[in-house]
Amino acid sequence: MKDFPKYALLLIVLMILQIGVLNNLNLGGYINPYIYILFILVLPFSTPGWLLLLLSFFVGFIMDYFCNTLGLHMSAAVMLAFARPAIIRSISFGIQDEKSSPDLAHEGLGWFTRYVAIGVLVHHTTLFLLETFSFRLFYLTIVRIILSSAVSIFFIILIEILRLQRHKD
Amino acid sequence: MNNLLKLLERFHFVILFIILFTISSVLYFNTTYYQKARLNQLTLGVSGFFDSYFSSWSSYFNLQTSNTKLFKENVNLKNRLAYLQQKLKMTADTVEELKTAEVLYRYMPATVVSNAVNQQNNFILIDAGEQDSVMAGMGVICDRGVVGVVVSSAEHFSSVISLLNTDLVVSAKHKKSGVFGSLSWNGIDYRKVKLLDIPLHINLAVGDTIVTSGFSAMFPPDIPLGSIVDFYKKDGRFFDITVELFADFKSLDKVYVVNSIRRKELNKMLEAAEK
Repeated sequence: MKDFPKYALLLIVLMILQIGVLNNLNLGGYINPYIYILFILVLPFSTPGWLLLLLSFFVGFIMDYFCNTLGLHMSAAVMLAFARPAIIRSISFGIQDEKSSPDLAHEGLGWFTRYVAIGVLVHHTTLFLLETFSFRLFYLTIVRIILSSAVSIFFIILIEILRLQRHKD
Repeated sequence: MNNLLKLLERFHFVILFIILFTISSVLYFNTTYYQKARLNQLTLGVSGFFDSYFSSWSSYFNLQTSNTKLFKENVNLKNRLAYLQQKLKMTADTVEELKTAEVLYRYMPATVVSNAVNQQNNFILIDAGEQDSVMAGMGVICDRGVVGVVVSSAEHFSSVISLLNTDLVVSAKHKKSGVFGSLSWNGIDYRKVKLLDIPLHINLAVGDTIVTSGFSAMFPPDIPLGSIVDFYKKDGRFFDITVELFADFKSLDKVYVVNSIRRKELNKMLEAAEK
């Protein structure tokens, strides 16, 4: 609970970056990076499941509000929140420290990269499949998912490194 | 009862996920773009402010191309004016007719403040709103073709559903034969749209011009949209035609909102029909 201001600030910064900059960035038509999910990914291990789902629902709603796609980001974000415990279980050894959180500072670059990669893929796959919602453009959608995921993963890790630097100072 | 509570407690994560995911998917698939735009209308003022701030920077880089485009358009309009004046003099008795034709459509200038071509459902934000008497349902054109349709407007900004939105269908016709069909984007290439429902007996050729039909009362008739680049026979009755747009949506800047006098009449008819 004492970390509440920290996470609120992170959410605001991510939203400004996402809506102000990345949504206006035109990277060749097929690439739409979504970095706001970093917020969902780095919530502490001790976050109860229902709170994780409700927070994701809320974050998705803000995105939809600005992107004119009511329901789309909400679905994808909730899907990611649902998958998060399973992702963490599948790539971790032993029991997690309840006080820590799945971020770069606590888990190291190797673990965090794997974690982000799987999380981004889950989110983007849900998002782009729902957006097109047909298998007519299946290969095109696959290309969009892969390219956008690669760029999102890059940006998310970059932001996380910057966050860690600031943390150290 | 106790068991049920225990079950709920044990599976609350899955149950809550199913509830939330269902709510959001139903929201996504059951809202039309008009409803989404209405939601967006609440934030239009805020996002419009930020977007116009960003685009005031980027429009500097496009000044050169904007200028040449405007210049060309000016020349065209002047030519047209000269032609019309000539005609007016020659046919003094049909002046009344010309006047009624003039007032069918009024154009209001606007500038694009935010634009997207990289999603399946693209929207454009323009800097003309209710104050400039821009209202939902009006067509938006640029000097090189159709841009989209206004879906909602705030005081100073309006949200426009782009032609590059898989939800929008525009009535268009083959200029040579006058046969009309429906034009829509298939979500792949931002330069190319699909024209469907043209029957097989029409003689088509690559390079033929496609223009607006003027049936919808959103757009005046005979605005050039694009030219045919490819066509094939689909399911034995209609052509599937690929049309390359004249307008480059990536460099959209100055647009015109079309205020059609017929639009109000048509809307009244539609409302009456709904009742």
